[in-house]
Amino acid sequence: MAYRVLITDDSPAMRSFIRRVIELSGFELSACFEAGDGAEALAVLENEWVDAILTDINMPGVDGEELLRRLAADELLCAIPAIVISTDATQNRIARLLELGARGYVTKPFLPETLRAELERTLGVPCD
Amino acid sequence: MTDTTIRPALSSAVADVLERMFFLEGLSEAPEPPPESETVSVYLTFDGNPPGCFQMRLAREAANAIAADFLGEDRESLTDQQSTDVTLELANMICGAVLSRIESNAAFRLGAPQIVADETGLHGPMEETRYTVETGSGTLTAAIQMETRTCSPTQTYAS
Repeated sequence: MAYRVLITDDSPAMRSFIRRVIELSGFELSACFEAGDGAEALAVLENEWVDAILTDINMPGVDGEELLRRLAADELLCAIPAIVISTDATQNRIARLLELGARGYVTKPFLPETLRAELERTLGVPCD
Repeated sequence: MTDTTIRPALSSAVADVLERMFFLEGLSEAPEPPPESETVSVYLTFDGNPPGCFQMRLAREAANAIAADFLGEDRESLTDQQSTDVTLELANMICGAVLSRIESNAAFRLGAPQIVADETGLHGPMEETRYTVETGSGTLTAAIQMETRTCSPTQTYAS
């Protein structure tokens, strides 16, 4: 089965890298959308349904925390699992983001298999 | 917080980021390049307990090689903007990895990384910790300065 994923990060390089790593890991993508911040992500979601959202936290404009809040407050979008990808591995931050509604958390730097495993866990994909 | 506390975190963070995200292996500590070397420098500040600043100096050739590998592009087709974007992200990841190692239970917030002309950002009264590594296409030097930690009732840290 292939999945539709939205990558939200203010760094074009990181968006491109995440997409490449997902593909290299063997995780099947049927569509991959990109957004530079939370506002762009919400605009994408007005027109496209995705299976998972991967989001950075520190972004100009609508940051990752606010994006999680807005997703949680929306009766439709709250069903989409969001995975945070961040350099911040402090326990307080991780706990805070999970409380805001994040379903997964991947700390940069990460291995391709780590990202794939978190996507599969969050989406409930059976292990090979 | 002392240099002996920060330096292992700094060297470990540099190695971890370069190995996991940039697939560089067999990294070894190296002497810093001379000041006249062609390099690109990134500077960023961070808030937290303690706050401070971080700077990374990367050989220009290494910056381009790392960016090309990171993006899966040929070096010939790599744009200056792509190289800059990856270099900024590299600095962001290394700084975040250092702070996560030092402050695993505390919150911190990274400022936006910026390309700077030289290392003036790190000059000041704070103690500085530096680490240089050979990437295979040039050296990377990471340096961090942290303000003296506010002492808790049970712990005292040297600056």
